[in-house]
Amino acid sequence: MIEFDKFTLENGLRVIVHRDETTPMAAVNLLYNIGSKDEDPERTGFAHLFEHLMFGGSVNIPNYDEPLQLVGGDNNAWTSNDVTNYYLTVPKDNLETAFWLESDRMLSLAFSEKSLEVQRNVVIEEFKQRYFNQPYGDVWLHLRPLAYKKHPYQWSTIGKSIEQIETVQLDEVKAFFFKHYAPNNAILVVSGNVETENVKHLAEKWFGPIERREIAERNLPEEPEQTELRTLHLERNVPFDAIYMAFHMGKRTDDEFYSTDLVSDVLSNGQSSRIFQKLIKERNLFSSIDAYLTGDFEPGLFLVTGKLSEGVSFEEAEAAIWEELNKIATEKVTDYELQKVKNKIESSLVFSEISYLNKAMNLATHELLGDANDINTEVEKYRKVSIDDILNTSAKLFRKENCSTLYYHAKK
Amino acid sequence: MEKLYRNTAPEFKTVDSIEILGDKRYTLSNDIPVHVINGGSQDVLKIEFIFDAGIWYQNSPLVASMANSMLNEGTSKYNAAEIAEKFDFYGAYIGFSAAKHDASVCLYTLNKYLSQTLEITENLIKDSIFPQKEFETILLNKKQRFQIEHQKTNVLAKDEFSSLIYGKQHPYSNIFDESEFDKLDINTVKEFYKTHYIPDNCKIIIAGKVDQSVINKLEELFGKKAWSKKDNLIHAKHEIQLSKENKSFVCKDDAVQACIRIGRPIFNKTHKDYTTLHLFNLILGGYFGSRLMQNIREDKGYTYGINSIIISHLKGGHFVIVTEVGSDVCKAAIDEIYKEIKRLREELVSDEELNLVKNYISGEMLRNLDSPFALSESLKGNLPFGLDNSYYQDFIRELKTVDAAKIKTIANNYFQEEDLKLVVCGPEDCRNSI
Repeated sequence: MIEFDKFTLENGLRVIVHRDETTPMAAVNLLYNIGSKDEDPERTGFAHLFEHLMFGGSVNIPNYDEPLQLVGGDNNAWTSNDVTNYYLTVPKDNLETAFWLESDRMLSLAFSEKSLEVQRNVVIEEFKQRYFNQPYGDVWLHLRPLAYKKHPYQWSTIGKSIEQIETVQLDEVKAFFFKHYAPNNAILVVSGNVETENVKHLAEKWFGPIERREIAERNLPEEPEQTELRTLHLERNVPFDAIYMAFHMGKRTDDEFYSTDLVSDVLSNGQSSRIFQKLIKERNLFSSIDAYLTGDFEPGLFLVTGKLSEGVSFEEAEAAIWEELNKIATEKVTDYELQKVKNKIESSLVFSEISYLNKAMNLATHELLGDANDINTEVEKYRKVSIDDILNTSAKLFRKENCSTLYYHAKK
Repeated sequence: MEKLYRNTAPEFKTVDSIEILGDKRYTLSNDIPVHVINGGSQDVLKIEFIFDAGIWYQNSPLVASMANSMLNEGTSKYNAAEIAEKFDFYGAYIGFSAAKHDASVCLYTLNKYLSQTLEITENLIKDSIFPQKEFETILLNKKQRFQIEHQKTNVLAKDEFSSLIYGKQHPYSNIFDESEFDKLDINTVKEFYKTHYIPDNCKIIIAGKVDQSVINKLEELFGKKAWSKKDNLIHAKHEIQLSKENKSFVCKDDAVQACIRIGRPIFNKTHKDYTTLHLFNLILGGYFGSRLMQNIREDKGYTYGINSIIISHLKGGHFVIVTEVGSDVCKAAIDEIYKEIKRLREELVSDEELNLVKNYISGEMLRNLDSPFALSESLKGNLPFGLDNSYYQDFIRELKTVDAAKIKTIANNYFQEEDLKLVVCGPEDCRNSI
């Protein structure tokens, strides 16, 4: 059970406080409700580039990192298709420094031309390092547009191409900030060795004076139902063939999310899981294989991805995956097997509650999705999943016409 | 309303000392030392069994790592699938790792399932049988991973750099050819297991909610119960061979970036100047505010990241700067790196900068040593040096005595341009950069 206090400032900023006195630290996590799905299709990668610019100085503070490092703090941020999340940790006595820094960059940025120019280059190098200079690194750049035809999940957070990032101008950056960054479009979570009264005081002092901003209603195109199998073949300079299968699933807040998650666990969580035992250990068809969900807020993807063992053909590998998928979609799992994956979920939740920073991020995500307290009721939702739920969810997911398959060929 | 001064930083406190949850020590009846770090809010345990069974002790490549991985693959009591089934059912995790000197088996478990999960752990440590079929699968999959890894410029650059500073044959390099996978004999691996995974060669670190019943269980399974006897192993000596070459280029034609490594062998953390070296490293490339990160990423935009690190091995160590840059700016990036090192040789670091890194590193220690699990990791790293986690308290005390002159001395004594090895891995057009 994670206990927390919650309040909302007049400007709409939601604040959550979780006390964990086992650490001498405090974490401040600021989640903005803006992700790469909100981008203009001609300006993809913008939300992520913008995240970089948030470190380029704010209206009253020329350098974000230095004052934080001076008080023993550390920070980072990430962007997903759904959100942009900023977090930092400081020794508990220096919590106010965090409020000072975070509130100033919510108030306004310095919008420096130099920072934009440099960060454009940094992001382009990031693009190359992570997507082009790694074996199999560009998979998602091709798999997303194969699976999504209308919805903005068709591009990765890094963007569709380097060219779209190269031409970003400063006035676009400004417009983006005032359109999406606002107290009424963010969730602040403070966790660790902190007192709610003090957090309340600091929040009102530093964030209270920031005015509410007009946030346009989100109106994303819906992805039409897929009606036939899609395939794509790529050939690259990699040592082994690999296969990527993507199935459309529901959104994060659907009841069915929990059974879908457990389906992926039956298939591939842990070494006793079905596809690990059957396809790696028994039949030696893959050197690695995994089944997992993207966990996106909007209707997401269920992935099955594997690297083929030397000498195994795509036909054989793919048929073997379908055998396992058809099996779970037509035959009931046993009580024992379902109990096992539920035990694993419960255990991983207990382990994840060790980190005060982890808890802060999870509280923020749950609050944005509906209610921070869902962090405490999730276990119950997993427990409720029945044998029939696993069967029905699998049958709905694992249909050829719901599948996009990418064949990643090793150049011979 | 309080008046707000947004351009003035709030007051802050520096971290002058850190409280560290110490380890309690026990000895099992067969003399295995047990270190206990008791704390945390969750009913969970991390129990790590550490053996002198790392790469240092093997006579040919892959032996230590295969012996370690095979512990999960079958005992006379349970086959591999049954072992996996049991750990998964109890929501436990079992991890295996073979490092330079240590090899370990690490159990993460909920307290309520300790007896079940510890019993399987005991079984696989004492009674693994190394089935042929599992051996072949594990080896083949390791080989595929090796082949994929060796497509990466940073892995190729790392191998080349290690061979320059330790020599190709040295365990700290751990460089070997793909063909070794086909040569490996299961009996060699099995023999290694039998001679190295024994009580005289073992220590245990437990972290989490540890009460007497946990200690008792450990004594029952690992102290009292039969376990194979001691063996007088004679280990090969490994001599470091520093290359005379100072520069090396590894060509990877399809790369879109160049991976740069610049560094040298350096003393380990038992040396009297280690704290000063640590600060030198921080200032140069050891955190986001470092000179290299600020210059090469935040000013020039040549890279997504650049870092320098110090690796302390038991019998040696090295310092290295690592980055991946656009191939068109490879030469420019290397020049800037040398320029920053030169600046540290010639100019004193300002009080302001020195003060900042001292505060930063103190905060970092506080952050990294705040949970029993994290402390157990640090303890594992410190014990071989004859240290425990009170080392960090000494470090913070020592930190206060380091001044700009000491850092400049370190820079001059160890970081002259001719002391440094340079490796670049990238497309052909980067060859001229070195």
